[in-house]
Amino acid sequence: MEFDLGRVIDVLPGLVWTASPDGRADFVNKSWCEYAGLSFGEACGDGWLGALHPDDKADLIDRWRVITVANEPGELEARLRRADGEFRWFLLRIGPIAAASGEAVKWCGVGTDIDDHKRLALTSQARGRNFEQIVDGLPAIVALFTGDGKIAFCNKQMLEYLDETFEQVQAKASAYNFHVADRDAVLARWAVSVQSGEPFDFEARLRRADGAYRWQRTRVFPLRDPEGRIDLWYGLCTDIDDRRWAETLLAGEKQLLSMVARGVALAEVLGALCRVVEDAAPGRLCSVLSIDPDGVRFRHGAGPSLPAAYNEVLDGLIMDRHYGPCGMAANQKTQVIAEDVASDARWAASPWPGLVLGHGLRSCWSTPILSRDDKVIGVFALYQTEPASPSQREHELIRQFTQIAGVAIERAQSDASLQQSEARKAAMLDAALDGIVTIDHEGRITEFNPAAERTFGYREHELLGRPMADAIVPPSMREQHRQGLARYLAGGGAQVLGKRLEMTAMRADGSEFPVELAITRIPLEGPPSFTGFLRDISARKQAEEELLRSEAFLAEGQRLSLTGSFTWNVATDEHAWSDEVYRLFEHDRSAPVSLPLILQTVHPEDMPLVDEVIARAGAGQDFEIEFRAVMRSGAVKHFHVVAHRMHDRSDGLEYIGAVQEITERRVAEEALGKVRSELAHMARVTSLGALTASIAHEVNQPLSGIITNASTCLRMLAADPPNIAGAQETMRRTVRDGNRAADIIKRLRTLFAKRDAPSEPMDLNEAARDVIALSWSDLQRTRVILRSELADDLPLVMGDRVQLQQVILNLLLNAADAMSGVEARPRLATISTEREGDDQVRLTVQDAGVGLDPEATSRLFDAFFTTKRDGMGIGLSISRTIIDNHGGRLWAEPNEGPGARFSFSVPRAAEAAAGDLQLVVQSAAAAPQEFMVKR
Amino acid sequence: MADRPLVCVVDDDESVRESLPDLLREFGFAVEAFSSARDFLASEVVARTDCLILDVAMPEMSGPDLQRELGRLGRDIPIVFITAHVDEKVRPRVLAQGAVECLFKPFSQTALLSALEAAITAD
Repeated sequence: MEFDLGRVIDVLPGLVWTASPDGRADFVNKSWCEYAGLSFGEACGDGWLGALHPDDKADLIDRWRVITVANEPGELEARLRRADGEFRWFLLRIGPIAAASGEAVKWCGVGTDIDDHKRLALTSQARGRNFEQIVDGLPAIVALFTGDGKIAFCNKQMLEYLDETFEQVQAKASAYNFHVADRDAVLARWAVSVQSGEPFDFEARLRRADGAYRWQRTRVFPLRDPEGRIDLWYGLCTDIDDRRWAETLLAGEKQLLSMVARGVALAEVLGALCRVVEDAAPGRLCSVLSIDPDGVRFRHGAGPSLPAAYNEVLDGLIMDRHYGPCGMAANQKTQVIAEDVASDARWAASPWPGLVLGHGLRSCWSTPILSRDDKVIGVFALYQTEPASPSQREHELIRQFTQIAGVAIERAQSDASLQQSEARKAAMLDAALDGIVTIDHEGRITEFNPAAERTFGYREHELLGRPMADAIVPPSMREQHRQGLARYLAGGGAQVLGKRLEMTAMRADGSEFPVELAITRIPLEGPPSFTGFLRDISARKQAEEELLRSEAFLAEGQRLSLTGSFTWNVATDEHAWSDEVYRLFEHDRSAPVSLPLILQTVHPEDMPLVDEVIARAGAGQDFEIEFRAVMRSGAVKHFHVVAHRMHDRSDGLEYIGAVQEITERRVAEEALGKVRSELAHMARVTSLGALTASIAHEVNQPLSGIITNASTCLRMLAADPPNIAGAQETMRRTVRDGNRAADIIKRLRTLFAKRDAPSEPMDLNEAARDVIALSWSDLQRTRVILRSELADDLPLVMGDRVQLQQVILNLLLNAADAMSGVEARPRLATISTEREGDDQVRLTVQDAGVGLDPEATSRLFDAFFTTKRDGMGIGLSISRTIIDNHGGRLWAEPNEGPGARFSFSVPRAAEAAAGDLQLVVQSAAAAPQEFMVKR
Repeated sequence: MADRPLVCVVDDDESVRESLPDLLREFGFAVEAFSSARDFLASEVVARTDCLILDVAMPEMSGPDLQRELGRLGRDIPIVFITAHVDEKVRPRVLAQGAVECLFKPFSQTALLSALEAAITAD
């Protein structure tokens, strides 16, 4: 049996051996030998230990000892070398073979190859250790769930996140830690996955130990056993809260900026901004205030979650730093955090804390909103119903949205100012007095304002898009215009930009007119466009020409009238002289004028007069003076000066005046005065009162006119502004009266020059013409038309010229007197000369007057007989005496029609004398002439 | 206009009627000119004339005639006579009749102005 047993043992599929308690083998079965590749002999004794893995040998020996000492069956594991050298794990079970005494005498061992299992187990063990390490090391929450949602495992992060033990986690309901708003969705999704076996992936807020909910991306995968059955669910939560926050804010920012970009109204943008902020920071009530452009008051921007009554208080509130945090933030340009309004001392004196607390608000964080150029344009504030201070993330939020609010407010302000500027531009274009025309780079009109419409006679719509050159540039200048534009566009610079030009423009009707033009390039990017400001300067041109003409008139008037104008500043002794003043005083233009210089020229006799006037001027009184000045040449000139004080002068007392040279007038006056006194003398010493009085009258009339007109002229020129037209008229009259006076003087000189030669050959025609000239004004006044029919071949007569002229004058004045009452017919008088017989010459004065009273005719020539109310009654008497003395006769006869005829005849002179003057007489004589008095 | 004194010139000589009013206006007076005493009497300015510059010798109604007529009408208008006649007897006669002054042509503007001042002050 024993043998048989040995054979059985040999074929067992395990390694069997027996050994003494000290481990020495006395038997190994065949399987052993085959496995280890040892002979029986080699395996017995200590030989089998040689098959042991060196690392396991010590262990095995220890274990063997423990088992054998315990004397109980035991197991141990060790690696045994196979014949091919590979070690394989074996489970070695050993048991005692006891003797009758119970003492173990041998130990029997059975080795089973457990290598496959052992390796698996070891791998699993290693893996398990790695998994935990890895999972705990992951920056994510990892958990394993059973199909019914019970948690089977969770990693360290999860426990830390929740600040709970695994047991506490296990005790909670499924999805308990998710945000209440997400919980149902999570459970529903979970149910779907459990049903379908599909993995799922969702984002939900998971409550952290500190109570904050953070967004987690949760992915759950099924874990299947080798048969494919779902064993467990494997969950992985990644914290995406920061990303999610950033995304939310980014989306909000994008939405807001897009609103700003689209030009949405500021209130709407700020309202949306508040909602975005409130979504991102739950529990915060957001407010935005803008600041008026004047920088004084707050304006309500948005505060959708704040009480309306509170918003109303803030709207229009003066930005006072002592009022509340917003005022302080705006004034100090810094963030102001009021953690607890109730205990904050900064606004203790303000009604604000009471106001906010009354609305249930407890804290307020105010941040100034700054513009790009760093001006405070608003305040961004977050309110809380509990005392609080902003978290790091809220600081970030405030920073970001304060900036966006700034962008929105600035955009709105720039929109408003752009609108204002557009409106202003439109109003300016409409109201501008200048024509404003804008053209693009091709010269086409893009703008044509109302003033341009009025100036050019086009309507804007007729011209838009049309080339400007064709519309308002005269044909002759179009090419030049085009070339100028082309040159500029080619980079050639502009000769016309930024200058004031005067050009010719063309109206719609083709008429051309002068314009003043300024062209500017509109400072925008892209192809250049130009704006031209045009002004019709026809009127100005005309005015300029008129002014030039007027100045020329003034200069000419001053030259003609020997009148200059001047100003004199008494305090500074500054003088401004017109050209004529320099000429009058014969003063060099280049030398400065001063009062001492002028005084040097004053005639010593007139010095006291001048001194008195200067004193008066110093006292601010207007002055007028006539004085003499001695020129360098020694010539003495008479000057008449009139000056007026100019008022409202800041630089002291100043006079404007005129100076006229009156030397000639003075000389003429003196000459006339002499003549007048001679006449007065004559009137006294002769009986010819009527004649002399008449001559004096004739002299005095033009003299009076000269003086009056010259005085008027001087005053008109001294006026400010000078009355040029008036002065010219008075000067014209002065010249006329002057000529009249000169004429009289000339005649008088002739009259008196021959007084000492009473009887000589003389031309009666010439004598008659002198008398006509002398009586001119009397005849004019009495509206007498005098016809002269002086014979052109009249011989000379012998006589006293003056006496004969007195007679002629007497007859003429009588004729005029006789017609003074005549209204029904022309007051026509005729003076005629003719030969009478061979030796007499006759002069006749015929009138159309009252005629002769037959009774009176015989007494006509008696002394003191007169038919005139204020007559002297000596005229005809004297006249007859004179004629009688000349050996002639004087008589009267009635006309055939109305009026009378008075004639005298005197003897002609000797023939020889007459012949000498024949030519002169012929040329001086004329056909019948009429002197018509204008009336 | 109302504050400027009204001076009336009555002279049959056209050159006086041309020149004198211009000068008087330069002095600052309001001026009306008439070619005859009749025209002046017929005008509506008689009642508001502050001073009359009157030529002595005029056809029809002379200066002294007008002076008398105004006296008869109770018009107390100061009169400055002007005359081109060198008749020294005229002056005392018209002054005796109440004229302010009698100026002989040609007269200076100074003489005219002082006569006018005397006339208007007297008024």
